[in-house]
Amino acid sequence: MSNSHDNHGHGSHGEGHGHYIIPDATIYKTLGALLVLTGITVGLSFVHLGTWNFVVGMLVAAMKAYLVASIFMNLSHDDKSNSVIFVSGFFFLAIFIGLTAPDFLFRGDIFTEGKQIMLPVKGVSQFKRPWEPTPEIVAHGKAIFMQQCVSCHGPEGKGDGPAAAALVPHPRNFTSADGWGNGRKPSQIFKTLKEGRPGTGMASFATIPAEDRWTLAHYVASLGPNVLKDTPEDLKAAGVDTSKDTLGDTEAPSIPITAAMKILDAETAKDGLKGNIKPGHDDLEGYGERVEARTFNPNL
Amino acid sequence: MSHASVPAGKYNADNPAPHHFGHHFESAEHEFSSAKQGMWLFMVTEVLMIGAIFVGYLLFRLRFPEAFHEAHKELNVKLGALNTVILIISSATMVLGVTAAQRGNNRRSIGMLITTIFLGGCFCLVKYFEYTHKFHEGIFPGGLYHFEGLTVPHAPLFFSFYFVMTGIHAFHVVVGMCLITWIITRIKRGQISKEFFTPVELVGFYWHFVDLVWIFLFPLLYLLG
Amino acid sequence: MAHTAEAHGDNYLNHEKGLWSWMTTVDHKRIGLMYLASVCFFFFLGGIFALIIRLNLMHSGHPVVDANTYNKLMTYHGAIMVFLVIIPAIPASIGNFVLPMMLGAKDVAFPKLNLASYYIYLAGATFACLALFLGGADTGWTFYTPYSIRTGGGVILVIFGAFVAGFSSILTGLNFIVTIQKLRAPGLTWNRLPLLLWALYATSIIQVLATPVLAITLVLLIFEHVFKVGIFDPALGGDPVLFQHFFWFYSHPAVYIMILPAMGVISEIIPVFSRKPIFGYRAIALASFGIALVAFIVWGHHLFVSGQSELANFVFSLLTMFVAIPTGVKVFSWVGTMYKGSIRFNAPMLYALGFIELFTIGGLTGVFLATLAIDVHLTDTYFVIAHFHYVMVGGTIMGFVGGMHYWFPKVTGKLYNETVAMWAFISIIIGFNLTFFPQFIAGTEGMPRRYWSQLPEFDLWNTLSTVGSWFLLLGFLMVAWNMIKSAKSGPAAGDNPWRALTLEWQSKSPPPHDNFGPTTPTVTHWPYEYKGANV
Repeated sequence: MSNSHDNHGHGSHGEGHGHYIIPDATIYKTLGALLVLTGITVGLSFVHLGTWNFVVGMLVAAMKAYLVASIFMNLSHDDKSNSVIFVSGFFFLAIFIGLTAPDFLFRGDIFTEGKQIMLPVKGVSQFKRPWEPTPEIVAHGKAIFMQQCVSCHGPEGKGDGPAAAALVPHPRNFTSADGWGNGRKPSQIFKTLKEGRPGTGMASFATIPAEDRWTLAHYVASLGPNVLKDTPEDLKAAGVDTSKDTLGDTEAPSIPITAAMKILDAETAKDGLKGNIKPGHDDLEGYGERVEARTFNPNL
Repeated sequence: MSHASVPAGKYNADNPAPHHFGHHFESAEHEFSSAKQGMWLFMVTEVLMIGAIFVGYLLFRLRFPEAFHEAHKELNVKLGALNTVILIISSATMVLGVTAAQRGNNRRSIGMLITTIFLGGCFCLVKYFEYTHKFHEGIFPGGLYHFEGLTVPHAPLFFSFYFVMTGIHAFHVVVGMCLITWIITRIKRGQISKEFFTPVELVGFYWHFVDLVWIFLFPLLYLLG
Repeated sequence: MAHTAEAHGDNYLNHEKGLWSWMTTVDHKRIGLMYLASVCFFFFLGGIFALIIRLNLMHSGHPVVDANTYNKLMTYHGAIMVFLVIIPAIPASIGNFVLPMMLGAKDVAFPKLNLASYYIYLAGATFACLALFLGGADTGWTFYTPYSIRTGGGVILVIFGAFVAGFSSILTGLNFIVTIQKLRAPGLTWNRLPLLLWALYATSIIQVLATPVLAITLVLLIFEHVFKVGIFDPALGGDPVLFQHFFWFYSHPAVYIMILPAMGVISEIIPVFSRKPIFGYRAIALASFGIALVAFIVWGHHLFVSGQSELANFVFSLLTMFVAIPTGVKVFSWVGTMYKGSIRFNAPMLYALGFIELFTIGGLTGVFLATLAIDVHLTDTYFVIAHFHYVMVGGTIMGFVGGMHYWFPKVTGKLYNETVAMWAFISIIIGFNLTFFPQFIAGTEGMPRRYWSQLPEFDLWNTLSTVGSWFLLLGFLMVAWNMIKSAKSGPAAGDNPWRALTLEWQSKSPPPHDNFGPTTPTVTHWPYEYKGANV
């Protein structure tokens, strides 16, 4: 019997009816301490300590929480197992945030790779008529160039970046007029940036928003021996509506995950994916082709 | 446990009924410690449930530090601090109510519990004014947000968290007030004595837990944004 | 039959009479039976959906339902089987009946809460099923965002149903923890605790710690619909992959809520029918807690191709491998127990052996999926479907049906028909392997999951699989018929037909209202001392 009593966790309650009752004085002292700590947190929030604001704020909150749990909730005089139970909750919460953060904060996509590939905010445009070069636009293009292009094309655009040696064919030398596959006009460079050059090391940079891509195209064009200009027809072919001041949402941004999510989102919102596949006995003929097509065309 | 057999009107707060513990327990003490352990386990589930939104909040705050910083300035620190003080005092009155019940002083216990409900009501009132002010300005969660004064991208997410976290907390406050009302009626019916005060103590735990949540919510949302 | 009833006198079945006495009962045994009836009902409902799904996929080009209906059937099969069947199956039905009796207690710690849990479960089930008539849900049981935010309103009801049912699970877990902590009979030390109770304890810990996260996830998902909070909605700056973290922080541990109790049942059955002490008692008990702990650190392996960061993929792939250790310990201990035992092939033992076979296949294919590079190819193929059906049906349902046979004499006081039970088992084991093994092959060949129609190349595997599902149906119908018929008119079982040593068998069959009558049982020995024990 004594054995079972130990196991029932009666330990701290074994001594008759001695339930611990918190003295009033302790309650008032704790109340005072909690109010003082509240004052300290509010006061500290007006002092600028950088990230330490957060640390100190949370420490003070933890102290308050400790006071409430140990005195008001009487954990200090209670069965130890109850403290273990309560603290275990926070332990598992720590696991939750500790293992979600390695994903959430290290996703390697738009949120961590810098401003150039941030999704353009709808309706907010940095430049008016980005297809027409201005010194500001070219400077902006240069800034992107220095981040995104130098590793292959080199700091002066001569095709001599650190990675150039490993690439066959070699990256384009922008200071020479020779060998441009798509042409040297800004609209043609824009096309290369958007689509890449299959069979070469030049990948698609469609992940850079269209407006920024235009500035980059102007900068690259400016490196050449003579700067070519786009005709209205060129611009029209590149999808620019010259009657407007901005590019508008002519392109779906293609950014890993986030952009994919956005497209998916738009498509499901259109109700377009629902109910378009209807079985019927008469169109079972040619079923094989239909399935074949469906695997490649999500809209069928 | 089984008060069904007690004739109505025989017992009251000054003359409580003797307590009969459940047939599967060895003693009243055994029943009490089991109930208390159950309550702590329940509070762990609350820690995980509310804690999970804290996790979401912290992660988004780390991802969009500037947006969250700008957005938090829209919150009214004075009202937040006032509510913190109200809840802390209500926690103290709750303990005073519980200890009074433990000593068998049911009159004082009822008084303290009514004060606690009143303070809970004050908290909700302040919250109501904060909410309506925000709605009036056009500050709504996420997709419904149309406040002109702050157009930083992702700022609406901050308010999504603000409304969800404080809303769920306020829901707990209201549930707590209902529970306190319930134990007051039990005291009045003479079902609580210094031999049996389990429900009072457990509801007290719940109320302190609600206070604990606010202790973290206040600096996270209002002060450190 | 009147004879046996008189011989046993007052028991929990005839202690009170009438439907109302059942609906208001706080007796854990009756609540366990009510759970059992509900779980079986939903198992057959979810099973019918599965049969229609299989029928639809049997021949490419011959669908029996249209694509939208198919999506709903698939969602309902998953949601019902997970939330209403395998999560409550063993803890809430068998556990409720057996747990207090194994402890030598008169009831669970909070009997009224126990009844409330049952009604909360029913309420959750009602909400989920109501949605069937209100447009239904077509998201799959995982409710992934952003689709679940955009699709019709029926999904809100299903989500709310799962949310409510989750509280039933939390409260049952809470009740069990306190019961095991506080209500053990004199002499029942931790080292004498039956392994089913260790398993249920570990399960309850997961239920209490993980389910609340699901609850808040589902609340946030409802808020996405109603208030457009946008936390999981990429269109509003939220993060849909975060939803998957929230969802799987619960739903991966939930897999162990499903399998741990089955492991507990198997640990009870094997020593009884091998007439040998369990091998590695402490190892099995500790492994239950090891699994419960590891359960919380591996959820990210469901997100390998969701756009999760490389870093997290690496960490979760590594951590997932740890699951194999405690599960391996268990399987080896069961095999070690049977070694040189005098094995009796009664139905419970057959199901235990079936469990070991199927669970081992399911577990080992899990190691494939945990390996990051292989998982990229196998994600969202039928390989995954086959893997988790081997674990969930081959594991949990085998344990559940085995447990039903094992405790049938205790619950009803009658014996089931051993011949029918054996043929039912044969039908189930053949049907199961025929249904799900071809899916491994089709999956490695690239057959995608959740598609309404499949390519003709997979016809052979799909046809085999569909035919297998009919054997499964036949087997489960035979089990149901055997149980119902034997409960009505089976021969009297006696108090301890298996000569088992755990406490519940020391009571009468069926047990009296307060389990052991006026005396409290006292435990003096370990429950697995079978050598020379002629009880």
